[in-house]
Amino acid sequence: MAHATLFIQCIVDGMYPEVGEAMVRLFQRLGITMDYPENQTCCGQPSFNSGYRKEAAKAAKHYIETFENAGTIVCPSGSCVSMIRNHYPELFEDEPGWRERAERVGKRTFELTEYLVDVLGFKNTGAYFNGKVTYHDSCHLNRYLGVSSQPRELIRRVAGLTFVEMEASDKCCGFGGAFSTKYPDISTALVKEKVQNILDSGADAVVGCDMGCLMNIQGYLNRHNYPVRVMHIAQLLAGVKGDAA
Amino acid sequence: MPIHTNETQFIHDIRAALGIRANNSDARQKEIFTDPAQPPEAQQMLLDTICARQHSDRMDLLDRLSREAVPLNLKVIPMKNEAEAAKAIAGLVADTTPEWGDKKSVVQWDHPMIKALALDSALKDQNVPVYTAAFDGSETSHNQKNLKRDQIREQVTASYIGVTSADFCLADTATLVMRSRPAEARSVSLLPSIHVAVIRKEQILSDMKELYALLKFDPDTRGKGLPHHMVMISGPSKTADIELVMVHGAHGPRALYLYVITGE
Amino acid sequence: MSDEILTDKYVENSTRAIEDDILQGALGKIQSGLAKATQASYRQLDEGPELRMTAHDIREKTINNLDVVLTQLAAKVRENGGKVYFAKTAEQAVAYTLDVARQFKVKQVVKGKSMVSEEIGLNPALEAQGIEVNETDLGEYIIQVAGEKPSHIIAPAIHKTREQVGRLFAEHLGVPYTDDPPELTRIARKALRDKFLQADMGISGCNLACAETGHMTVVSNEGNIRMSTTLPRVHVAIMGMERVVANLEDHDILFRLLSRGAAAQKLGGCVSYIGGPGGPDFPDGPEAFHLVILDNGRSRILADPKFREILYCIRCSACLNACPVYGKIGGHAYGATYCGPIGAVLTPLMVGMNKAKDLCLGETLCGACRQACSVNIDLPRMLLELRYRLAYGDDDWQTKQVSPLEKTIHQAWAFLAGHPALYRAFLKAGAMGQKVFPKYRGMIRKMPGPVVGWTRDRDIQPLAHTPFRERFKTLSSKKVR
Repeated sequence: MAHATLFIQCIVDGMYPEVGEAMVRLFQRLGITMDYPENQTCCGQPSFNSGYRKEAAKAAKHYIETFENAGTIVCPSGSCVSMIRNHYPELFEDEPGWRERAERVGKRTFELTEYLVDVLGFKNTGAYFNGKVTYHDSCHLNRYLGVSSQPRELIRRVAGLTFVEMEASDKCCGFGGAFSTKYPDISTALVKEKVQNILDSGADAVVGCDMGCLMNIQGYLNRHNYPVRVMHIAQLLAGVKGDAA
Repeated sequence: MPIHTNETQFIHDIRAALGIRANNSDARQKEIFTDPAQPPEAQQMLLDTICARQHSDRMDLLDRLSREAVPLNLKVIPMKNEAEAAKAIAGLVADTTPEWGDKKSVVQWDHPMIKALALDSALKDQNVPVYTAAFDGSETSHNQKNLKRDQIREQVTASYIGVTSADFCLADTATLVMRSRPAEARSVSLLPSIHVAVIRKEQILSDMKELYALLKFDPDTRGKGLPHHMVMISGPSKTADIELVMVHGAHGPRALYLYVITGE
Repeated sequence: MSDEILTDKYVENSTRAIEDDILQGALGKIQSGLAKATQASYRQLDEGPELRMTAHDIREKTINNLDVVLTQLAAKVRENGGKVYFAKTAEQAVAYTLDVARQFKVKQVVKGKSMVSEEIGLNPALEAQGIEVNETDLGEYIIQVAGEKPSHIIAPAIHKTREQVGRLFAEHLGVPYTDDPPELTRIARKALRDKFLQADMGISGCNLACAETGHMTVVSNEGNIRMSTTLPRVHVAIMGMERVVANLEDHDILFRLLSRGAAAQKLGGCVSYIGGPGGPDFPDGPEAFHLVILDNGRSRILADPKFREILYCIRCSACLNACPVYGKIGGHAYGATYCGPIGAVLTPLMVGMNKAKDLCLGETLCGACRQACSVNIDLPRMLLELRYRLAYGDDDWQTKQVSPLEKTIHQAWAFLAGHPALYRAFLKAGAMGQKVFPKYRGMIRKMPGPVVGWTRDRDIQPLAHTPFRERFKTLSSKKVR
């Protein structure tokens, strides 16, 4: 019986709790038991990306302490998992004890689709969605974690769904964390192009694995009243036949 | 006028930047620079492949060269022998006109294979002069050499076809490799609008890897080392600097004809 | 650098670039074509894209032994009859070149494309001495006629349309207007042929020198570098000190990668090895060859182990072609000689991290550059490292903290991250505070403060009243559907 410890990152916890809910419903349907350490906070990525490594290290230490006794940790975010796996060790270059603990917990932390496909071997989750769906490859998930086939395996097996690849699905959407607020013209130019590619694909919905990207895309779609739905893959996979549209 | 080259201080600053305190340059020299007398296994295999090449392998390479040459605008023309090649070149002269002006002349290397073409007689009935861009041995003083250099420059500049051979030809990239020698002037393959090269099929190598294996690890090819100049040309020049539109013929020759003597 | 540094105008120059439809079209063309073609060309290598890792190792070893390698290069070039000068600063490199020009009574120069000559501000210095400088790379020629700076390392005039070039040539060269690229190229071909033949001195950069044999090398497709380095009486080559290989066979690997990274080609159209003049027995070619090896801040980069890797760069420009940010803002927005991802790392290290802070902060860290790099350089790692130095300041690099206020905010966030009860309370308060902002389809339209840049063009998701952490208990006790 699979068991997962949930790390629900700050953007989902605080802004898109329905994504976390979807992930729970999905796991329940798949028979995965869960626990959720209540003291979890932030993985420290925003500070790290802006150069504030000492601050990031504080958040990292909290993550390590919260999760290091868990068996398998699952998080619906490629960028957070990339932070934990790829960058936590370098935060503790001068603290070998913490470095080891970081490496150990990093090995056990997985992004959602990695977990479902690579660890558990699921491809068909029994989900249902009526409509055309396209997929956005988030940069950290794709280039820093090497995850790009797993989400597609899952999406393709959703009943009722037609999958369409958009042009340049792996091109950056322009989020980049603080970049999106500090360099808004460039960020907007990039999300505008991403949205154009989504519209050109003819999809009813765009699916992704990182809420930062999806929030960025949704923000632009909403502002311009485009009728494309934005879904985290957890929400897509949680849907079953008979769900309200 | 001697100029202080700053080398000592410059190198010293680099050593400081690298954190090198010990005087271990000699040991590191041995470690960094590979020994031409000790080719690694992969390189030795390349040398062996080249040695073991048979006639049919060479014809395969010629095929490959011909294919790779197409998008690069290089014309590869197999020829039975030098006499055939000379006839073909005479035909080329008849069929082409100079890019600038209307006076036709041809300039050539002082090279055994080119000499064997006997181009001056091949082009006699078209009244096209053939100049050899090399010292003829009569120039002994500094002044005489300078005068000859000026004359060569004038002739190369005025000629619309330059005829050379080459050291090697790489099939994979359709590349002609030319190491400079006194009798093989650089500008003959550079200034005229049309470059004609004549080689034997035995000179065709597979690719860059084979070339560098020979240049570095084959004692015969390596000889005393590279001369002061070597050029590798893969087709006539081109540019895509305006809106990424590919234009063939920027500077130097805008057409390149490669005659390969095959013996058949 | 003698070039005017406009790195602090990154934001406004970016905005202008984004509004320039012609530039956007040109950049779109480069990126949609070249980036994919380069990736395909890496896959087609016999050794596969892994060859880039081998190349990385070669560069690493060379740079880590640069003292020995350069010493050998200089000795061998001198054996070949060339002269070698080590220029610590841009000023020294310029002064030496002017000295050589005086020595040879140079009135006209023909130049191949050389970023390092832009870096040291060579052209204006020559012109100030009354020497006519002719750029011969078609793109460089176009921008020289236009009085502009290059916007791309390999295709400097990519931001110009054929109509613009046609008008430029008609105005400045007195030729009839045409916007046909082959015809325009023919016009430049004729104009420059005369320059090649008349010039006294040829100036080039250097792609990758070879220490073992004592040669520098230049690669081009246009043949202009060959012309510039064969016909004039003297040839001066300027090379960044890191642009060298130790062994001849290293060129095989690096040229194959350089050509693919630059233009998805198997090999550049023309590769020249030059180590010295021919001497009295040779009927043509220059009488003198001078190699200027330039430091200009590179040894300082070398000394910092975190940044040394940027010196492995062979200037192929694959990173420019892959970078989504470059693809929107073009080369001029970077305000200095080196643009794109390579410029985003190199420029702050050369002109100052504070002065060029926007270059390393104004990137999304998407990682496309690292994937595209022909020698597998970890550019994002160094962008993060630059941000780290800016965050806290760095005495070694004379860098001040970029924003003490921002640091305080992150300190506060880190504190909250370590104190879960306070973290939860803070988010609760934020959710309540956001109630004042009007929502449209569930999202906030306008919100002042730090996210005003976002809300100008996008809606923003508000903080949820009930965060996930408060829902889990209820969820996990619900029956499965």
